[in-house]
Amino acid sequence: MKKYYIAIASLLVFAACKSNIKPDKPEKGEADFTRYVSLGNSLTAGFADGSLYRSGQENSYPAMLAGQFKAVGGGDFRQPLLLDDAGWPDLHLVLGYKPNCATKAIGLGPVPYDGEVNSANANNISSGGPYNNLGVPGIRCIDYALPGYGSLNPYSNRFYSTAEKAGAPMALALSSQATFFTCWLGNNDVLGYATAGGEGNPSGLMLGDISPVPAFKATYDALINGMTANGAKGALINIPDVSATPFFTTIPANGLVLTRQGQVDSLNAVYAPLGITFKLGPNYFIIADATAPLGRRQAKAGEYILLTASDSITCGGWGSRTPIPEAYTLTAGEVANVQNATEAFNEIIAENAEKHNLALVDMNAYLKTLTQGITWNGVEFTTAFVSGGAFSLDGIHLTQRGYALAANEIIRAINLKYKSTIGLVDVNKYNGIIFP
Amino acid sequence: MKKNVLLTFSAIALSSMAFGGSFQLNLQGMRQSAMGGSGTAWPWDASTIFYNPGGLARLNSFQIYGGAYLLSPRVRFTEQTGSYFTDAENHISTPFAFYAGGKLNPESRFGFGLGIYTPFGSSIKWDDDWMGRYVTQSISLKSFFFQPTVSYEINDVISVGAGFIYAIGTVDIDKAIPVQDASGDGQAKLSGNAQGFGYNLGVQVKASEMLQFGLTYRSGVKMKVDDGSANFFVPASLAANFNNTSFKSELPLPGILSFGVGVKPTRDLTLQADLIFAGWRSYDSLSFDFANNDGSVQDTHDPRSYKNTFAFRLGAHYKICEEFAVMAGGAYDPTPTRDNLLSPDAVDANRINLTCGLTYQPIPKLTIMGALYYTTTGKREVSYDPANFTGAYQIKSLAPGLAVSYSF
Repeated sequence: MKKYYIAIASLLVFAACKSNIKPDKPEKGEADFTRYVSLGNSLTAGFADGSLYRSGQENSYPAMLAGQFKAVGGGDFRQPLLLDDAGWPDLHLVLGYKPNCATKAIGLGPVPYDGEVNSANANNISSGGPYNNLGVPGIRCIDYALPGYGSLNPYSNRFYSTAEKAGAPMALALSSQATFFTCWLGNNDVLGYATAGGEGNPSGLMLGDISPVPAFKATYDALINGMTANGAKGALINIPDVSATPFFTTIPANGLVLTRQGQVDSLNAVYAPLGITFKLGPNYFIIADATAPLGRRQAKAGEYILLTASDSITCGGWGSRTPIPEAYTLTAGEVANVQNATEAFNEIIAENAEKHNLALVDMNAYLKTLTQGITWNGVEFTTAFVSGGAFSLDGIHLTQRGYALAANEIIRAINLKYKSTIGLVDVNKYNGIIFP
Repeated sequence: MKKNVLLTFSAIALSSMAFGGSFQLNLQGMRQSAMGGSGTAWPWDASTIFYNPGGLARLNSFQIYGGAYLLSPRVRFTEQTGSYFTDAENHISTPFAFYAGGKLNPESRFGFGLGIYTPFGSSIKWDDDWMGRYVTQSISLKSFFFQPTVSYEINDVISVGAGFIYAIGTVDIDKAIPVQDASGDGQAKLSGNAQGFGYNLGVQVKASEMLQFGLTYRSGVKMKVDDGSANFFVPASLAANFNNTSFKSELPLPGILSFGVGVKPTRDLTLQADLIFAGWRSYDSLSFDFANNDGSVQDTHDPRSYKNTFAFRLGAHYKICEEFAVMAGGAYDPTPTRDNLLSPDAVDANRINLTCGLTYQPIPKLTIMGALYYTTTGKREVSYDPANFTGAYQIKSLAPGLAVSYSF
């Protein structure tokens, strides 16, 4: 009998009063998201952890955007997906255990994914198109004007049709009939130079060069002119500065930490002829510099040591007796070249946004705030390598959560420009760094 | 070098853990909760030990009183724009009140008694994978107050009372930690026992048979956790960075000043109203002090900045016949929380309460009481800025309660 009363009471409690509030319904504003096409490079393709792999593609920022656009009339979003998660053409990196090169102690570090590269991924899948995500890892802005580019790049070679390969990438973009597009191009026009340690030409056409500004401008202008010719709306995303990227910032220029007076004394003896002295604690690394006496000098504040020098610094004696080779450093002059080019390219991007009344996403500014930390639903992200959660194990590309942060920054800019109210991506629904 | 880079997790703090929000429960007496929670002026029964200890000497017998409620608030979260919403899991708690008190002899000027009740409590469990899991997954705060009380009838008009409060409580908190392995998020589980002390003072003024007043002050109670345990479940490679440890914390329960007036315009009708000031400003922040701060476990300090509040409560009691009486009431409880500091572990909003109840007195010494306490809030769009967590909440709840009293 008592149970009966409790049951009635419980029914009252459960059934009578339930909240039925709902989130506000997203509105498309002045843009038409029916056919969304994304233009860009590796960032747009969903590249992460040193390679392209399927779950990275599935959770690329354009795929996230397309998911949010669905609520405001967006259509299907087709991507040139790989067959599996191993990575192609290289295995992607995962966080695993590996022996420290010096102490042999087992520690955490990026190691190749445990699997096989599936060569069937090289098969052309253009028949599965037309694709909405036209991101091609490695592509530069200036490559967009290059006929025949499609077959030179293994990634585009996979999903461009024979005819598309014959033309320039721009032709494919312009034929995509986008009603809405995003364009995140230009990173590789500086990054190739920067990741090669600034050894290339500060204005040249080779992969290790910085693209000539006039060529960049001509291509970018033509691309955006063409994309908007039929009235398409879009968002142009600018180029982040290298200073916000752990590939360049993880190893501090003064990362030569001396803990024993003996080390200090012997280095002082070696470098006395050059007038370089050392002290206990952090010291600036010795780097190679052809213009310096004996081809070496101490690094200065504001210069960068590339992440790829890490093991050689720990175990190869780089940075003290052996200078860090030029290909692993960005010296002040090289940093200036990179920053000037980034600024010049970003100006061109901003001009195009202004001219065509498109949303401008200042990703450069956003990633600079990330260096200070961005908290999202209780998780703090920074640009720190691994622990920051936003950058993947290659130190240049983002994690899925990092891409989600970028997607939300893009949505904010779109909402502002087109008076839309597209909902934000649930950043933490995606993976960050996976620990063993 | 790389190893150090990988293992530096200073950024991962166990921020924003909390006991609960406006976790005050106004369910200490069945008649009073049926009258919107008012009851400072009129000493209805032994539950006046809580509502106004000054009224205890007004009882003309010794009474045993016990009651409980089934409380199951429904809380929903929605993101601002989009499609995501989620309901907190149903969870029934049973706030209760037990009193033994009154006068042994109707001629005596002294009343005394003991109250055991649950004035503060909060329990909310969100889905383990919900959008705000790094802020909170679940929280349960329980408190039990023991209040021995004495009361003295100075004259026919004024009586006073005082009670000493010993409070014990438990706290259990789960939240996800943003370190993932192949099976998902890390998790922190905190649990501890708390205790604190306080007092409850009251003056009851019987201006006439038709008009009574009451003034009470229930002191703040600092609930201190001295030796809580914090357990961390993280990826194997990070276990050394998250050592289980003990923690200290404290939660200030607010002091509450109540002024009540009761009128009896007719023989059968009583109307009463309370104005209640709650000193929530004492809840400025919530800190956890971990004994072992090695590795990634950092002490936390979360701003709450609660505001003091004034609540209004109104009720009516109508005696139908010797055996039956009905009650109804309402209350407006403004929230002490701020729009930019509302954590999902302490959901709150301005509350409107509607209440009703019934008493049945089969024999003069025995009274059976039932009440329904309905609470609703509007859709409240807020954020918890320290976690950059934004969304809207609504609370609805219908709590039935039942109590029995017996007079000797």
